Amino acid sequence: MSLPLYYYLSITAVNILMSWTLYLPYRVAQLHFITVANMAISGYTAGYLVMALHVPFGLSLALGFLLGGLIGYVVSLFIGDAPTFAVVMVGFTFIYITRTVIENTPAVGGTMGMFGLPNIGGSPSFHRSAIIAILYGLVILVGFIIHRFDHSSLGRAASAVFADKDLAFSLGVDIRKLGMLLQTFSCTVAGGTGVLYGFIYKSFHLDFYTFQLVGIAMTIIFVGGYTTMWGTVVAAPVLYGVPLLFPPAIAAWRIVIYGALLMLVMIVKPEGFITRRTVFHVEAFLSRSRTKLNNSYP
Amino acid sequence: MRKGKFVVLAAIAAAFLTANLGFAQAQVKEWRVPFLNCLTGPIASIGEYLQWGAERAALEINEAGGIKGKPVKVVGIDTALDPQKGSVEMARVVSENTLVALGPVPEPVIMAAMPIAVENGMMSITATTSYEYAVKFFPWTVSWFPPTEERLAELVAAWAKLHPAIKTAIQFVEPYGPWPGMAEAHVKGLTSAGVKVLGKIDVPTDAVTFGPLVVKALEQKPDGIVFVCNAEKIAKIIKELRARGWTKMDHLLVFSSGDAPELYAAGGADINGVEIYNYINPDINTPRWNAFKQAYMKAHNGNQPPSLSTNYYDALYMIKRAIEKTAVTGNPKKLKEERKMIAEYIFNMKDFHGIMFNWNMKDGVPTDKPTFIFSIQNGRKKLIREVRP
Amino acid sequence: MQALIAQIINGLSLGSIYVLLVTGFNLLLLVAMIIHFAYPQVVVFSMYITWVVLLLTGNNILLGVLAAIGSSVLFNLLSAPLFQKVMKNRGEVDINSTMVLSLAMGMIITDVLSHSFNHGLPITFPEQLSGNSPVLRIGLITILRGQVWSLAVGVMAVSGFFLLLYKTRAGRAFRAIAEDPNGARLVGIPLLKTGLESYALTGVLGGIIALLLVALLGSASPGLGEQVANKVLAVSIIAGLGNLPGGLVVGLLLGILEAVAQGYISGSWSNVIAFVVMLVVILMKPSGLFGSKL
Repeated sequence: MSLPLYYYLSITAVNILMSWTLYLPYRVAQLHFITVANMAISGYTAGYLVMALHVPFGLSLALGFLLGGLIGYVVSLFIGDAPTFAVVMVGFTFIYITRTVIENTPAVGGTMGMFGLPNIGGSPSFHRSAIIAILYGLVILVGFIIHRFDHSSLGRAASAVFADKDLAFSLGVDIRKLGMLLQTFSCTVAGGTGVLYGFIYKSFHLDFYTFQLVGIAMTIIFVGGYTTMWGTVVAAPVLYGVPLLFPPAIAAWRIVIYGALLMLVMIVKPEGFITRRTVFHVEAFLSRSRTKLNNSYP
Repeated sequence: MRKGKFVVLAAIAAAFLTANLGFAQAQVKEWRVPFLNCLTGPIASIGEYLQWGAERAALEINEAGGIKGKPVKVVGIDTALDPQKGSVEMARVVSENTLVALGPVPEPVIMAAMPIAVENGMMSITATTSYEYAVKFFPWTVSWFPPTEERLAELVAAWAKLHPAIKTAIQFVEPYGPWPGMAEAHVKGLTSAGVKVLGKIDVPTDAVTFGPLVVKALEQKPDGIVFVCNAEKIAKIIKELRARGWTKMDHLLVFSSGDAPELYAAGGADINGVEIYNYINPDINTPRWNAFKQAYMKAHNGNQPPSLSTNYYDALYMIKRAIEKTAVTGNPKKLKEERKMIAEYIFNMKDFHGIMFNWNMKDGVPTDKPTFIFSIQNGRKKLIREVRP
Repeated sequence: MQALIAQIINGLSLGSIYVLLVTGFNLLLLVAMIIHFAYPQVVVFSMYITWVVLLLTGNNILLGVLAAIGSSVLFNLLSAPLFQKVMKNRGEVDINSTMVLSLAMGMIITDVLSHSFNHGLPITFPEQLSGNSPVLRIGLITILRGQVWSLAVGVMAVSGFFLLLYKTRAGRAFRAIAEDPNGARLVGIPLLKTGLESYALTGVLGGIIALLLVALLGSASPGLGEQVANKVLAVSIIAGLGNLPGGLVVGLLLGILEAVAQGYISGSWSNVIAFVVMLVVILMKPSGLFGSKL
């Protein structure tokens, strides 16, 4: 695999995972930006463990997931069923707290950042293979979980909450527990993603985890489609990859193009490019193809 | 039929994508020097003049016959201050037959992209970052500046000695990259000059008004103030100080990273008399610098060239000399060894003729670059003192 | 003691920025059901247009003022159909979609400003418009002209718009078409005319805010809007979405809290302190301190 392709694929996987961590809570209409803070907290913690305490990468990654989940769970006790904007505030607050704490903590590099993380397995090629394998393994695992969730009674309950919270409540949906579940899971995934993000670059810097990440994730979700997990899968590689191919004169206007695309999608196709109907048609097509294939072999 | 068309289109898209992600090979007809720069985004204005400086050098070199008879081309690659973009671009650069690169700019992209250059044994000259960042990637980059603690302490001590009336001082410090480290070096210097440092005022990155910070500073009654924050913020803090009655403008010192167009654009006449230190002296009289200055002013509506504009100009000349003085041929088959040759030569380059002065590199660090203290008058810097190591 | 008074005055000055922006933000919410996340960026855009006109006309203040108000009104009127379309697509009022749309607008505005105006460098305004001269200075206590204007106009704007929206027929019409367009049409409120008037009104306010920020700050940069956008949204949430008097109180309190935190604790922790306090408030009262008006 070429080096540029490795970085493209690994960062795309991070963008997919990061966007899914926003997609899930948004299923119950919560904009859960704390996941960005989770990425930073788990990332820096894992980096410190590896660099200063020589903890193996695998254990640090696991701890990164755990830490993310723990933070997500504790916070969800307070905001499991909070209104959208209260959840937004929590996210902003955690992002500010995380940044300030890291800036003022020399042990993790402070404002300079953390340099020179070691290669997993001791060699650059093994490191790259491991990162890609772990990332895409995670994408498949998380994707599977989200897919099962979306097609379960919990997923239907989430859709009901999104459509009408009061109606969902009156139908017996435990909104708080559902919110807590989604927030905890998304924070867990965010924690591990944050660790892997830093290990792609083999360094950690505060500016890897900014409000800009929130903007990127929001764009991916809303352009790709927020009603189904597949929108993220399609939008993430396209929104990251296409600008890399722009000639310099057009690349200079990349952000304007992103913004215009987002506006266009909100106006013309507010549910995003990949909607539930699109997924239904694709699933039906695949089902017909499978039936045809089965029928052609007696 | 629709399915077939879809498959063909997908295959074409995949081929296009992979071709542009590093499988393309080209014949070397010119010395292509990629420059990973911030051409868009929050610091696009800085990226513009860095790019201009590098392209100016390329123009001069080509007018004089190129490098070993072949023209040099600086290829601006926008990283948009985005580590995600920076890493892929560096990966692309490293995968092509690139001998040496310029940049990246600034620190977050350096952190994301330089490990790639290091891993692949390619030098990328980061000419706008501090020693503390550059040293982490030695020997595949060089530091444009000497170690912060050594040089800045000496410099600020020299400044304090220029103003014996300064018995106490305070610093405005923004938490970004190497700046807190620079502030600590200032403390060392001020203390060695007998100045009592009253503390530091933390400047939040998103501050839009500075009244509270200025009151906090003035409450401590400092004789002098040192600024270690973003150029625009420095200008605004100085305006706030003036509005609150501060008159001793020569007791204000701006650090080198604050010497940027934003300082002058936002500060205007309010920063007259303020002192500033930097590594270049715009009033040096050399033919190359005079020509550079004239060309810059012509291209930028009469504005003076900012202090960083010559960094990548000099960096490209370093590359030129390295190619000329070594056995580098640009042959793709010898890429690995030629990358190493260039890096080793630049890492310990002797008597490099920069646009303003000559200096030596020893183990990637400039050993004898002068520093200067200026007084700002009507948007221009007037030299007060040169400080040599 | 002097320092404390000085910090409180600084806090009121900082708070007045939030009050002005939150008032415009809340007004758009009340008359058009739009969460305009990028409202600060739109105001900064008007500041830039003012600067361009001043540059082209040799600092003609009257034309500069008209440019600020005109550009803000025009921007509002041009963006109104986009928001209306987005909300219409949903079949019901959807605040999240307007927030996302405005986020996109903010991205575009900031990028255009950094590309196309003054090479991305900060812009400064002439002395006549910027209020940097002191009206009072006693020791550490300094009150600048711009601070007086922005606070005074901020309070007057909140009071004025509150009275307009809740005590006048026109204001009731604005709120009616925002909350229930069909119901408003049934009772004979002309939708198009009233809608345009409401957008123009918020545009006028936006222009005035731009001028007051010019007076208070004396300069602007492309990232100025983004720097305050999070806090403006936070103030609006804490006060209660759409609550005009709440926005005034919380905006000023936040300004004072930040100023005191910067003055007595640390500049780098002031954001954390401010947001943690706001977080505690919102967790205790999710609908806002003074209740949402939605």
